[in-house]
Amino acid sequence: MRYLILLFICLNSVSAAEVSFERDTSIPLVYLNIAVKTGVVADPKGKQGLTNFLGEMLLRGTKSKSKQQIDLAFDQMGATLETETRAESLILRGAVLSSKLDSFLSLLEELIIQPSFPSKEIKKLKKEIISEILENLSEDKTVAKNKFYRFLFDNHPYGNSILGKQSNIKKIKRADIKKHYLNLFTNEQLIIVGTGDASEKKLTMWANSLSQKLPSNSQVNQVTLPSNSKTTRLQIIDKGDRTQTQIYGGQVGVHMTSPEFFPLYVANHVFGGGSFSARLMTEIRVKRGWSYGAYSWFKHGTMPRSWQFWLFPASKYTPEALSHTLNMIKELRENGITEKEFNFAKQSLINSAGFKYNTPKKRAENILIEKTLNLPEGFMKSFGEKIKPITLEQANSALKRFLNPNKLSIVVLGTAKDLKEDLAKAIGVSPNKVKVVPYTKE
Amino acid sequence: MKKLPHILLLILSVGVFGCATPSLLSKQEKIPFIGSSTVTQFNLKNGLTVLVLEDHSSPTFSYQTWFRVGSKNETPGYTGLAHLFEHMMFKETKNLKPGEFDRTLEKAGAEGENAFTSRDYTAYVQELPSDKLELIAKLEAERMTQLIVNQKAFKTETEVVQNERRYRNENSPEGKMYQELFETAYTKHSYRWPVIGYQKDLDQMNAKDASSFYKKFYKPSEAIIVVVGDVKPSKVLRLVDKYYGKITSNGQKRNDSITKEPQQKRVRRKTLRLGLQIEKLYMVYHVPEVTHEDTAAFEVLQALLSDGKSSRLTRSLVDTGICTSISSGAFHNQDPSLFGFFADMQKNKKASVAESVILRELKRLTRNKPTENELERAKNIVEFNFLNSIASNSKKSRFLGRYHVVANNFQNGLNIYKNVKTVSGGDIQKVVKKYFNRNNRVVIKGIPK
Repeated sequence: MRYLILLFICLNSVSAAEVSFERDTSIPLVYLNIAVKTGVVADPKGKQGLTNFLGEMLLRGTKSKSKQQIDLAFDQMGATLETETRAESLILRGAVLSSKLDSFLSLLEELIIQPSFPSKEIKKLKKEIISEILENLSEDKTVAKNKFYRFLFDNHPYGNSILGKQSNIKKIKRADIKKHYLNLFTNEQLIIVGTGDASEKKLTMWANSLSQKLPSNSQVNQVTLPSNSKTTRLQIIDKGDRTQTQIYGGQVGVHMTSPEFFPLYVANHVFGGGSFSARLMTEIRVKRGWSYGAYSWFKHGTMPRSWQFWLFPASKYTPEALSHTLNMIKELRENGITEKEFNFAKQSLINSAGFKYNTPKKRAENILIEKTLNLPEGFMKSFGEKIKPITLEQANSALKRFLNPNKLSIVVLGTAKDLKEDLAKAIGVSPNKVKVVPYTKE
Repeated sequence: MKKLPHILLLILSVGVFGCATPSLLSKQEKIPFIGSSTVTQFNLKNGLTVLVLEDHSSPTFSYQTWFRVGSKNETPGYTGLAHLFEHMMFKETKNLKPGEFDRTLEKAGAEGENAFTSRDYTAYVQELPSDKLELIAKLEAERMTQLIVNQKAFKTETEVVQNERRYRNENSPEGKMYQELFETAYTKHSYRWPVIGYQKDLDQMNAKDASSFYKKFYKPSEAIIVVVGDVKPSKVLRLVDKYYGKITSNGQKRNDSITKEPQQKRVRRKTLRLGLQIEKLYMVYHVPEVTHEDTAAFEVLQALLSDGKSSRLTRSLVDTGICTSISSGAFHNQDPSLFGFFADMQKNKKASVAESVILRELKRLTRNKPTENELERAKNIVEFNFLNSIASNSKKSRFLGRYHVVANNFQNGLNIYKNVKTVSGGDIQKVVKKYFNRNNRVVIKGIPK
């Protein structure tokens, strides 16, 4: 242990990059995440989708290798390398048979340090991403979710979609990608987190060497605080012949380090936190069979992001199910949760907290979250300890301060002509205040 | 002579599992798994199979109960019953009020409590802190035999399943294509109907049908319990014996009279107009059941054709701007199965083009064997995918449970991946020639309305 600590200190003295690796010899694989601390929120105006585009382009050519050569090399190693773009991080997720680690690291470094962004590949990727955007239009859940974030956050970058808009993708130029790469891939933004059957020393030395080869730029993209809408509002995403709707609703959330977070986390578990005992699931699914599922949860960022609910009832039950859900939210704010519910949720969350970090892969993921969302080290492991001292009074008073039943943003994907009037009635607004948007509209 | 090993086995069981009740055991053995790890298998006299794999890297364990029943065991008019019944298993029992099963597990800190139904099996899964082994054994034994199926709960759950059906099939172009694919590929075998069932069947079934299904299929002789994690086999055996040991496997006998699928005589094609913006191609060939010796070659073929970015079809379909994605592979089914190709087209590209390219690549394989380099690459990918598929307690449990049902025992599942090492270019060529011919093909195209 002492050896590892010394190594970590040494690493930090020569590199601003943050590195963590946990040895796990249970299977002969190595998992490695190379991330930068900004994502979709860094997409320039009019260039939505650029961060994701950049991530994909990193895998498509270096100064000495074509995409085909890169693909072949990874496959020969039995390795995978994919990009994942989040709101506030861009992650290269790699995995390799441990016997092939050296070749994998060498190629990975080349991709990150010497990308060439070939014009031919840019052209191909544009077509692929535009087709993917079109493909996503057939998935009601994906369409509704993306539209909800756009509606909730208005022009705030938390509302940007990962893939971007077709019109923006068409406009992306090689110079945009190159500039974005130079902004994002800096020594200070780099995070390397991994686990698997390899030596910590080897991985940290490699990470150290990699980060030193990246330029230094301490400017970090700062996200502003999003705000709620002034009143509860509804948008219908119109799609014909739907026998089922997708309902997303919610408001701006709470930051994980806020003193309100853990009291609200417990209260949300009671309301819609994924368990079959939660109020939403009991009322919507178990008692009435209206929807296959009904949930609420927080989504996190470096700023308060969202608290949201989701249900997908049959079209015929949609107005009733939405109205019932909104009444439940009002009731939650007014009367809070009961002592019995509170004690149950608390015990359940404390007893299951260990599952947040019971495998090396989960621990690596936690570190990635902590580092990209500026959370204190060990935060994700501390859930059980943080929940223990929470009281019922704290939970209920936090609910009163936090919940805004009159400032919710709600999106319903369904067939507008069948739903508009009844939905307007369900949320208590005039039908002409309900915005109807075709599902294909960008 | 035959009795001698049995006596030795009993002696061993007393030695290793001091607390066990040998009279309830008909068999126990230690079977190699991956590396130096071993699976301890117990067979109780009531027919219950228990698989235990120790992993003390975290104070948790995965507990899964697999039943040898899936949608293929349903009969026409009762489609979707296996899956609907899976929902009913979370309802009240003789000793647990409605919702108490879930609440007890949630309070205990359960993670990933869930269930799933396929054509061949139904499984109930969860992970728990390691001091909750007795709790879960007690709860699962209770619902295996003491479930109360009442009409009101059944009707509400039917509505939930109808909503699940709307979600997965009715409002999903992919769900519709998938359903059409199986309905077209199978004309007689019960793999032809969707696991979730048909709406009219779901509407007309009642609690009595569910009770009868329960009595027929939910008993120790139809179940496999898989426990992976921070547990000791001796303790698992003691608790399984305590809670399941006295359950009998009497009652209605299952009589699996599943009609064999006749050999397909000519290519079958369907085109569906759906709420799509781009075209999609689903194409399958009939192949044998998972225990067949050709399964290892199918794994390598899949890697060769579509796994990894340098695979033949990724190169010829995605890199050329025809598709956004291509995948392939054999469904690992207990009965004769399918090997499928699934392609999403790029904007303004036709599914028929993808079909031609796939056929061209298959034909190329019949003429020339893959090179040694290509084979090595494909085998590395298969090895990687396999290792990745057993990278946690719950994934290991899933592998053990699944193959113990579909391949008769999990060793047969492991053998597929061992046999991959010896698959040759000639073997690939042989299976392509044998199965991937025109008359054995089913093609479903999804096109925009």
